Amino acid sequence: MRLIGSVLSLLALTPIVSAAASAAVDKIEKFSNIAKSKSGVIPLTNSLYSEIVGSPRNYTAAVLLTALDTKFGCHLCREFHPEYELLAKSWQAQHKNNDGLFFAMLDFAKGRDTFVKLGLNTAPILMLFPPTVGENADPLHITDPLKFDFSQHQIPAESIARWISQHTPYEPKVVRPFDYTNLVIGISAAAAALTILKLSFNTLKPALYSRNLWSAVSLILILLFTSGHMYNHIRRVPYVANNGKGGIAYIAGGFQNQFGLETQIVAVVYAILAFCAISLAMKVPRIADPTKQKVTVIVWNAVLLCCFSFLLSLFRQKNGGYPFFLPPFW
Amino acid sequence: MSLDAFLKDESTRNLRSLLKAVILITIAGAAVSSRLFSVIRFESIIHEFDPWFNFRASKYLVQNDFYSFWDWFDDRTWYPLGRVTGGTLYPGLMVTSGIIYHILRFLTFPVDIRNICVMLAPAFSGLTALATYLFTKEMKDDAAGLLAAAFIGIAPGYISRSVAGSYDNEAIAIFLLMFTFYLWIKALKLGSAFWGALCALFYFYMVAAWGGYVFITNMIPLHAFVLVLMGRFSARLYVAYCSWYALGTLASMQIPFVGFLPIRSSEHMAALGVFGLLQIVAFVDYVRSQVPSKQFQSLLRSFIVVAFILSSAALVLLTVSGTIAPWSGRFYSLWDTGYAKIHIPIIASVSEHQPTAWPAFFFDLEMLIWLFPAGVYMCFRTLADEHVFVIIYGIMASYFAGVMVRLMLTLTPVVCVAAAIALSNILDVYTNLEKPDPAVVAAAKAAEEKEEKKSGLLNAARGTVVGIYATGSKLTVVGAFTFYLFLFVLHCTWVTSNAYSSPSVVLASRLPDGSQHIIDDYREAYYWLRKNTPYDAKIMSWWDYGYQIGGMADRTTLVDNNTWNNTHIATVGKAMASREEVSYPILRKHDVDYVLVIFGGLLGYSGDDINKFLWMIRIAEGVWPDEVKEREFFTSRGEYRVDDGATETMKNSLMYKMSYYNYNTLFPAGQAQDRVRGVKLPAVGPTLNTLEEAFTSENWIVRIYKVKDLDNLGRDHASAAAFESGKKKRKSKAGKAKGARKLRIV
Repeated sequence: MRLIGSVLSLLALTPIVSAAASAAVDKIEKFSNIAKSKSGVIPLTNSLYSEIVGSPRNYTAAVLLTALDTKFGCHLCREFHPEYELLAKSWQAQHKNNDGLFFAMLDFAKGRDTFVKLGLNTAPILMLFPPTVGENADPLHITDPLKFDFSQHQIPAESIARWISQHTPYEPKVVRPFDYTNLVIGISAAAAALTILKLSFNTLKPALYSRNLWSAVSLILILLFTSGHMYNHIRRVPYVANNGKGGIAYIAGGFQNQFGLETQIVAVVYAILAFCAISLAMKVPRIADPTKQKVTVIVWNAVLLCCFSFLLSLFRQKNGGYPFFLPPFW
Repeated sequence: MSLDAFLKDESTRNLRSLLKAVILITIAGAAVSSRLFSVIRFESIIHEFDPWFNFRASKYLVQNDFYSFWDWFDDRTWYPLGRVTGGTLYPGLMVTSGIIYHILRFLTFPVDIRNICVMLAPAFSGLTALATYLFTKEMKDDAAGLLAAAFIGIAPGYISRSVAGSYDNEAIAIFLLMFTFYLWIKALKLGSAFWGALCALFYFYMVAAWGGYVFITNMIPLHAFVLVLMGRFSARLYVAYCSWYALGTLASMQIPFVGFLPIRSSEHMAALGVFGLLQIVAFVDYVRSQVPSKQFQSLLRSFIVVAFILSSAALVLLTVSGTIAPWSGRFYSLWDTGYAKIHIPIIASVSEHQPTAWPAFFFDLEMLIWLFPAGVYMCFRTLADEHVFVIIYGIMASYFAGVMVRLMLTLTPVVCVAAAIALSNILDVYTNLEKPDPAVVAAAKAAEEKEEKKSGLLNAARGTVVGIYATGSKLTVVGAFTFYLFLFVLHCTWVTSNAYSSPSVVLASRLPDGSQHIIDDYREAYYWLRKNTPYDAKIMSWWDYGYQIGGMADRTTLVDNNTWNNTHIATVGKAMASREEVSYPILRKHDVDYVLVIFGGLLGYSGDDINKFLWMIRIAEGVWPDEVKEREFFTSRGEYRVDDGATETMKNSLMYKMSYYNYNTLFPAGQAQDRVRGVKLPAVGPTLNTLEEAFTSENWIVRIYKVKDLDNLGRDHASAAAFESGKKKRKSKAGKAKGARKLRIV
């Protein structure tokens, strides 16, 4: 039995060895056909996977192992997928016969066994298998492919293209299809906006020429910017944070740090202070009734003092060594 | 006699001018003296990094003549590339101090160029106060002008870049900025080509002095454009703008560093576009005044719109086709705030390019920051052409200051102006000694009854002004604001004294008994280099220290703060981040004799090279992504560590080895501590084979290593060192005295 088995296996092996070269050519043709029919990315199954990564390879294969099904909750996989397809499509469009570079993808749903075999528990993984034969053969990476580091690179197709061109002689170029829908939407939106503007110009005119509107917009912008809104925008700071004692911290510790709510408090304080100054300068002297005027002056002064004092105490929280304060907050 | 009459009376005019002059001189004196903390505490020394290059260039200018300065090719920086220094700098600052130097020499004052350089920024801050006075005077009146001058004189936002010794382009640029804006407002108000030409002249000076001139290049066209949109086109605007643009652009092109940029880069296109727009508008305006037909007028108006759209489209096309350079990265990153971090790490790595948190605004401007919106609101109430300028300037500058800390500098002047307008409006009302006129009161009451009552923020200025009745009210308000102003002065002094007066070349610390202890490691090390190395020795260090080495040690450097060649900087980064076997060939190929690193571990000085190391790695990775990988410097848990848990790549990097080499010998065995990172270091320190320690400063802040020559027997350094140590072992076994070994090291 054993003898027969080994003979059988020998018999089975012989044609494979002798046909190794032709098998490689066949593989190219096969995958090239699949790629053509699927317009770029070759969808793999377990068996196709072992075929495409199996040596000998006289082609380069980029293989993406991913989990697209929503139940896996792989956000990155779904984000990455269209980019990968775009790259494969661009390559397919520029190289009709693939020229020895294939883009393949194995979804977890179809290739659970491969995932298990490779011992993978994360996705997505993008591997690059260089050829094992031919002039571009890379003996270092026959079974051990290059892996794309998702944490270090940006996701867009261009960065994968750059990564591939760094490691292979191929230089894939990403051709993003021109987005006509966006253009059309943009143009029609602009046209619609112009039409509406034209039609309603007489109604809008007072607003457009309104000094009050413009001054309100300007003041809001200035208050936003001077209260550190751009910092929030760039650094994406949290709105509030946990203070570690189960409560909520409104004020971030440290001079170079802030929370979203904190900047809003500061902006409101600035606004009140500015409003006090405006009232004292412009509104109060226009009050014709003496008693009313006196009360108003006292009220605004008190509000000003309190707000300024609050601002200083806020600042002392940020900068421990700050020596100045005003009553009533200190 | 009433105060108002006194202020306007013809007979007291001379007295008032004298008073104004005295006040302005006092303000200038206060501005200068508040900037002298560092000179008094330390000495007359140039600060930080960039000023050292400016100082070196100024020395070159006064030692040679102007033309050789213009043609200066500096072969002692960026070795082996060199730098065409004369063509790649803004010469305004050096020429200014050169001229002052020659004038003083001519007047037989034997002044050292260093003292001129140190004192230039405070001196110009006095002039800035004057320029701000003039500018604000155009906005409101003398009183507001004087207040604004006082504010800008002591506002920390401006002091931060203009203390004595801070010999940087900004030192004179803020004066030029304010003065150019003043001249522009003046030209616009008078419609005078003379003032327009003067504005162009100072614009030229500004272009020669600071890259931030682009701010003016865009502010003035924006102002003109908004005025046209508001329907305020006038012959005055046309004359002022055209004379400024035509002369200013031609003049600015005379600076080699600027060259043809004004017609080829996007930053300057707004000015060109508005220039073209104004021609069309002026033409249409003229034709319209000749042709009364209404249809024809609307035809002309649409002609303007079409021309505007067409020229914008042409601009986009030219930019896409590459004829006009797109926005340069530095400016582009102001709009697309995520851009620099991805594409130009070298810009993102500079701390002054970070966004501004709110405490920084308050720190630099204190009460002015909330008077600022009030002032802008008051500008909206009058809204003459010049007030539009303050409003636009205010919005733009506060946006820029929010995006980048260093642009707080351009925000400060407009905040001072607006705050002065607000405060002087308040003081005008409450320092008026007269009681309200009964006739006016009656009229106001009648008007009030007639009109519907509408109150609120947006129409605070409705109704007639009656004035303030109670003396108590006046005293309260004036008293409160006087107190706030005193607080402002105290704040400014405190901030200047504590935050902005450190030269950063010399560090100060307090001893337990309260006395001051000066840490002078930088100068100690640079002086060592100057005295102990050959004149043509090449020093490699991270780019931050390039200017200082050039200025203080006078030795050739590989890279410096003029980060013009990213690849060269990345090469240095790679040498620092790689293993010795990789770094040594790089050092040899660049003829490096000494390597200098900054190490703060002993003192707890956090601005050292290990903390900057990540940027070196990132910049190197940008050029050699295969050889330097940021990931490998982090542990598997994503921590950046230098202790036992550091990754192998980290421990084998040249920077790590140079920083911690021999450091554990300072401590009892196994007790070595890094006081910046607050960690205990491995018991066995790193070994260095290809470099040898040449100098370490008193507090270990600066460490200098000499690059070993090739081995005499052709071995690699590691095996040579192994052989040496093996021999040593055998000899010590043979009972050789320790003294002999010591002698060999010396």
